[in-house]
Amino acid sequence: MVFSLILLFELTLIYLAFTERVKRFLTILMIQGLLLFGIAYLQLKHINILYLAFILSETIIVKGLLVPLFLNQMRKRNNLDRLAHSKVSTFVTVMAISAAIVFGFLLSSNIHDDHLQTKFLAASIAAIITGIYFVMIHRNIFTHLVGYLITENGVFLFSLAVGSEMPMLVNAAILLDIFVGVLVLGIFANRVGDRFKKMHVDDLAQLKD
Amino acid sequence: MLIVYFLSAFAISGALLCLRNRVIQLLFILLFLAEQTVLTVYAFCHLNEKDSVYFTFDSIGIILSSILTLLGYATFYHSYLYLKRHSDTQRSQSIYYAALIMLSASMNGAYFSEHLGTFWTSMEATTLCVSVLIYHERTPVALEATWKYVFICSVGISIALVGILSISVAVISKEGLTDLHLSNIVAHAQGMNTEWIKIAFVLALTGFSAKMGLFPLYAVCVDAHTVAPSPISAFISTTLMNVGFLGIFRMYTIIAQTDALPWANRVLMIAGILSITLAAVQLLRIKHFKRAFAFSSMEHMGIVALALSAGGIGYYAAILHIVLHSFAKAGLFYQIGQVYSVYNSYLIKDCGNYMKLNPVGAIVVILTFICVTAIPPSGLFVSEFMVFKSLFAGDNYYIAIAALFLLTVIMFVIGKNFLHLLYYNGDGFTTPQSVKVNTSETVSQFVLFGLIIYLGVNPPEFLSDLIKGATAVLQ
Repeated sequence: MVFSLILLFELTLIYLAFTERVKRFLTILMIQGLLLFGIAYLQLKHINILYLAFILSETIIVKGLLVPLFLNQMRKRNNLDRLAHSKVSTFVTVMAISAAIVFGFLLSSNIHDDHLQTKFLAASIAAIITGIYFVMIHRNIFTHLVGYLITENGVFLFSLAVGSEMPMLVNAAILLDIFVGVLVLGIFANRVGDRFKKMHVDDLAQLKD
Repeated sequence: MLIVYFLSAFAISGALLCLRNRVIQLLFILLFLAEQTVLTVYAFCHLNEKDSVYFTFDSIGIILSSILTLLGYATFYHSYLYLKRHSDTQRSQSIYYAALIMLSASMNGAYFSEHLGTFWTSMEATTLCVSVLIYHERTPVALEATWKYVFICSVGISIALVGILSISVAVISKEGLTDLHLSNIVAHAQGMNTEWIKIAFVLALTGFSAKMGLFPLYAVCVDAHTVAPSPISAFISTTLMNVGFLGIFRMYTIIAQTDALPWANRVLMIAGILSITLAAVQLLRIKHFKRAFAFSSMEHMGIVALALSAGGIGYYAAILHIVLHSFAKAGLFYQIGQVYSVYNSYLIKDCGNYMKLNPVGAIVVILTFICVTAIPPSGLFVSEFMVFKSLFAGDNYYIAIAALFLLTVIMFVIGKNFLHLLYYNGDGFTTPQSVKVNTSETVSQFVLFGLIIYLGVNPPEFLSDLIKGATAVLQ
């Protein structure tokens, strides 16, 4: 069951390459939040009930609901519909994300450590690489935020790969990270939209030597 | 103690946001500074003692907290002058002071964290607080710098979190349980899986480099220091960069216990020499004083990385350099705030004839040049001398010679720009109409430069003991 959810998570990464519609990005983030909820529940159901409740609410409420809703508000405020500012073609992006997934599987299958959950590690590596790749190829700061959140989901999976003995502090840290990522970056992204009337990184290039 | 400190810092910040009376504001700021001083003294009196599960008053934490305390007084004073000059609204001042207090508190959290998780969380909190301060002037460039700083730092800190999690893999593999307390990891580091430790070190170095202003994620620090109000530039180019240094230093203390130490030294050496090279190249084409000083900070962080990588006496030199650089760079940024009030510009071409316009300030500029470029009797000469001694002792001749050449270039560029500021009165330069500088504003700079000379030439025993205590785990 957990493995199926991980495969679905990997599929959402590939789907990211095909879409340009902002609404779909948000749907993918929402689905990833739900999948992480399922994965976390199945993997951590034996731990302290309070810790479990904290982690599950982080995935379902924050990642699955609040973050997409907040980004949707941002989308409406800045009239964002399509984001066709990628520097590379869809084909190349699909190939790159597929390569990241294969790399994740190959790398994790070569690690022989009884304390490491390699199935999570594979998905985690793929998500982190995809998130950073997304930031690099897009010229819109909204997409940068999406890329950042995918990276965060990868970090969450990495914490599951490391072991279920230490989730509380790490997840509190990830929650803080998401808070900074979405709330603070969201606020500044809105200001960029207000100031420059569009959310393009080329507007943010005054600071140079 | 720290819990009380955090709670009261939080309460004072909240009160500053709610109560916008100028006198009450001043009283709260003084209260916070008193509290900060008490914390540092308390930490010194309880050296190496635990404070709750997650914090310890260790030597390096006390050194960095003491720097924060000293610079805290000067920064609040210069902030007061800055806000007065810019006629900021009471609301804007309240937000500024509240963010500055929360930034100080979160930096103290990072300095004294014994647990890698709390260290990481404190570092993330510093990003939150400092974003408010960088954006203080609400200009398009402030928005650009803030966005870049928060975004890159957040990504960098996420990468560092993966590094910390990688350390925990190494701990689990050996211990069978996860305890991310630094003392536990250092005690059991020998025999841990070095591959995971190496991955952790590279990720942490990459992530924390955004805070330390070191290669590879140095750019956001430069932008932030350029755009932030001068007192904030002074504060974050010293105390906040020290948080980044501490992150790398903590990871280094772990890797130093393993067989991967020579490898880590090579990585640090590459990061250090690349930082100095990039700083030198950028300084050659710089047109903006604050940007030049931001690259100068990057150069000094490169020297610190080289010092750590050289080992031996380099460890002592690295921490001494961090201390002295903090005082030098803070003094420099406070003074450039005063220069701005004369010329209303940070562009080098707009500034000149400062020796006539503000002779006392000009003396500070000359002292700044001596201190920052490590010319005797600057204490930085002593620390840099030790760095190069350790590099030559470790047979790193090429790196040492390359670094010496690059430092000469940097000294030339900074000297040229300072001479322009002091004496230029030629074509295209217009003498400003009114000069509004009070000489008493330079007192803090004189005190800081005095400290640089004193601490470098004749360091007091307690400072030497603290530095030795901080590096003992590396020997």
